[in-house]
Amino acid sequence: MISFDFEYYKPATVSEAVALFQELENQGKQPRYYAGGTEVLTLGRLGLFVTHAVIDIKNTPEFQQTDANEDWMIFGAGVTLTELEDKNLFPLLSKSASEVADHTARNKITLGGNICGHIFYREAVLPLLLADSQLAVAGPAGTNIYSIHDLFNRRLQLKNGELLVQVFVETKYAALPYMSIKERQQWDTGYPLVTIAALKTEGTIRVAFSGVCSFPFRSAEIEEMLNHKETPLEARIQTALEYIPAPILNDGEGSDRYRKFVIKNLLFDIFTELGGT
Amino acid sequence: MDVIGKSVIRKDALEKVTGTARYTNDYMFKGSLHAKIVVSPYAHARIQAIDVQAASTIPGVHAVVTGEHLPLTGEGVRDRRPLAFEKVRYHGEAVVLVVAENPALAERAASAVHIQYEPLPVVHSPSAAIEPNSPLVHENMHTYKHDETVYPEPGSNVANRVKIRKGNMEEGWRKSELVVEETFSLSPSDHAAMETRSAAAEILPNGVVKITTSSQAPFMVKKLISEYFGIEAGKVVVETPLVGGGYGGKAAVQLELLAYLASKAVGGRLVRILNTREEDMLTSPVHIGLDAKIKLGCSKEGILQAADILYLFDSGAYADKGTDLSKAAAADCTGPYRLEHIFCDSLCVYTNHPYASPFRGFSHSELLFAFERTMDILAKKADIDPLEFREKNAILPGDTTPTQVRLTSSSVGNLPECIRRLKRLIRWEEGQRMVHENGLITAKGISCVWKTSTIETNAGSGVILTFNPDGSVNLMSGVIELGTGTKTVLAQILAEKLQMRVERIHVRMEVDTQTTPEHWKTVASRGTFMAGRAVLEAAEDVINQLKKIASCIFRASEEDIEIKNEKVFLRDEPETSLKFKEIVYGYKYPNGNAIGGQIIGRGNYILRGMTYLDKETGAGRPGPEWTVAAEGVEVEYNPRTYRYRIVKAISVIDIGTVLNEKMARGQVMGAMSMGLSFAGRETFWFDSNGRILNPQLRKYRPLRYGEHPEYVVDFVHTPQLDAAYGARGVGEHGLLGMPASLGNSLTAAAETELNQLPLIPELIWRMKEGNTDDFV
Repeated sequence: MISFDFEYYKPATVSEAVALFQELENQGKQPRYYAGGTEVLTLGRLGLFVTHAVIDIKNTPEFQQTDANEDWMIFGAGVTLTELEDKNLFPLLSKSASEVADHTARNKITLGGNICGHIFYREAVLPLLLADSQLAVAGPAGTNIYSIHDLFNRRLQLKNGELLVQVFVETKYAALPYMSIKERQQWDTGYPLVTIAALKTEGTIRVAFSGVCSFPFRSAEIEEMLNHKETPLEARIQTALEYIPAPILNDGEGSDRYRKFVIKNLLFDIFTELGGT
Repeated sequence: MDVIGKSVIRKDALEKVTGTARYTNDYMFKGSLHAKIVVSPYAHARIQAIDVQAASTIPGVHAVVTGEHLPLTGEGVRDRRPLAFEKVRYHGEAVVLVVAENPALAERAASAVHIQYEPLPVVHSPSAAIEPNSPLVHENMHTYKHDETVYPEPGSNVANRVKIRKGNMEEGWRKSELVVEETFSLSPSDHAAMETRSAAAEILPNGVVKITTSSQAPFMVKKLISEYFGIEAGKVVVETPLVGGGYGGKAAVQLELLAYLASKAVGGRLVRILNTREEDMLTSPVHIGLDAKIKLGCSKEGILQAADILYLFDSGAYADKGTDLSKAAAADCTGPYRLEHIFCDSLCVYTNHPYASPFRGFSHSELLFAFERTMDILAKKADIDPLEFREKNAILPGDTTPTQVRLTSSSVGNLPECIRRLKRLIRWEEGQRMVHENGLITAKGISCVWKTSTIETNAGSGVILTFNPDGSVNLMSGVIELGTGTKTVLAQILAEKLQMRVERIHVRMEVDTQTTPEHWKTVASRGTFMAGRAVLEAAEDVINQLKKIASCIFRASEEDIEIKNEKVFLRDEPETSLKFKEIVYGYKYPNGNAIGGQIIGRGNYILRGMTYLDKETGAGRPGPEWTVAAEGVEVEYNPRTYRYRIVKAISVIDIGTVLNEKMARGQVMGAMSMGLSFAGRETFWFDSNGRILNPQLRKYRPLRYGEHPEYVVDFVHTPQLDAAYGARGVGEHGLLGMPASLGNSLTAAAETELNQLPLIPELIWRMKEGNTDDFV
């Protein structure tokens, strides 16, 4: 049960939504954009999240758009993870998305929600980082396009009231060899102990991580170390681990040292499988 | 037999599959208030101040209750106030209760309560708790009332010590050419029933206290509320509708006390309380943890000689059922083996963990994990095949149990036959460990289990039968329908006895303590045994009444009268007959005269010949029968990643008679899955301050669809002579051997001794790579 009262708005367009946000913000209502609602419910009932106005944006047309042409794939931020799976425009994204939460939850969780949410695994962002995606972000001054690398640092660095509307990925990435492995503490359900997504382009393997630190990341240094073919793979992996950008998680899912062991195994499997040895 | 053994569809099936079945919180109560608990964020702390000012002035808040004037409660030891007073003893303990107009208001008011704490040193495990310098969880243990058969040790953290002294240890060790000594541990976990606990209470103007609760023990709720609060027993009426899974967690009386106190605080108005999942996991009692140390010896021929056992049960902050759990573990402390020399201390120990309630199997899956792992370790040392080792030492009729009960075929069944069947089903001859070309390893682990119930020596069950005008029968029993299908089985027993169609027997699912005859508690696989006997007696009563009237109408001796298909007839002239419907509400002669009247059947059963266990030796008879089983697990293990998959789980149980084939298999499979889930993944993770890190299903994960292995269930049939149609209790036994079997299979696969639960890959990694120092 959510014990706080909140108003509910359903604007027809993204620009209305952004304007409404400013208005509600000025009224002190701590407005939040609302798409799948899974975190509003699950964190709201625990008192870890409070708002007095939600702006339901999931049915605005830009939000729902999913399309591809020869050059670009477009993913609306309001597309659910199961829809991503079903349409399967970008197989790596489908794979990463398909392992988030459970099927019932994925019917609600949206691409944008998974990337912008509070729960820090945000695994749907991994393929987007690997594919050098472009992000359309709406704000008071209109919609701007950014490279994901300029906007994503630990999380999407949006200003209050800004809204991720669409993601653009070059179509060529859909055909590249890829892998995405999610290891849990045990068996097939649960948060990641370690998730690694990988994409091979022009002989180089790109990797991005979730569950390793308290944020998902892709690291240029790590990729450079891992792709240094003159060095034996085990040694490359060992060196790459030194470039993990923050302390490795040490929590109920697993210890930091065990996670390190898992990362090594997964990287070994990925590089062996994708021909990066 | 016509009905016994048939897979009759459950009487509660249609409402459950259509989603219309109603549980406690589904009943809409008009005008009810809502209660919310404020819980402790600390595992152990002194309460310095409670400020309820802000909370109580919120409009719509009716009352704020604290622990100060509340009585001490608890089943084994009266050590717990329903709301903490002076100090808190576990993370999640209820401290303040808020009653408000609606749930949202109650929650807002709860968050407006401010409590100041002074943290105290935390007792993290039962092993740490029995150290001489350990902080005390209860400083005033000497002032607590307790059951006569509970033996607390004031000045320590020991709430109960049960001793087993059988045979002569010196002789035992002298005959033991091979000896192993091992330690084991498993942390508390949860029951994770689908329905979280809920209760409602109101006090009527005439003083009647009405409680509705999702409980396995409504009659115990009635008894304890009457005792704790000094209310006349007849004025406490407890109702229990369908219960959405209990597994022992709803056998404890906890939330009902809060519901009553809440109602009392608002002048008797109806108040409802519903646990959130977090409260259900943190605040309400949990699945007990265990630290164990076992020294076991056998001769070089592999004959068991002596066992020295220490069980330290992690009862958490309060004793409650922990005292009985430690007693039950002592009674069956060795597993189902012939052992002449036993020394066992089974302790119920206070820690700063959530307190324990029963968990399906009542401490047996926990002790058997320790004992059956030790059996494998000793077998290895003696260089004997672990299955053969068990077969050699299997307990038989004529042997005695740790509490010195001499067994018969009826009381212990046939364990060797269970082992032989398991051997075939698990294809033991293929070998225990196989390395495949792809590097994966398949390995098998086995265990033997037994369990008797150690419930109260005078526990009983009653049944009432009434008739409908069409001749069909209504069956009323105090057994709670919590998913086990017991009430359908009772209908089958009745149908068999009355020789009528089971569809013509109507079962009342709901229980209320005012009109339903008592069934002690729906626990311990006792439903079918005790209520089954009561049904037989009630049926006998009905038959006698029917025959008596018929003998008058037929002008014949009762001995010449038979009953079948809702008819009463003369054995040698079946055409001289009357339908049930013509006599169950009195027989009317053609001229209008009537005789007989309404037929009401009654039956009861009380346990026979049970005794308390002797304080010094443990000698005594705890339960009527033991159900034995042999169980096994096959895993596929990856030696590089230490990850594994459970391929197959097998249970061969001596069930006596199968009363309902599909339901029996369902019970056993469900139990197996629960055992594997708890062995393989379920545990509470505690931080260094004793706080639980995962009181949510997103971080506490029972087995899900897709993670299940293949389940194989087989039954051996050695009848229990004093049970209805010879059927033994079977609600728990599929679970009992799963943790040990999984531990044994993974130990074989990984070639390292795995003596902790849960058996997650990280544990295997730590054991294999020697990283054992900092395991959380």
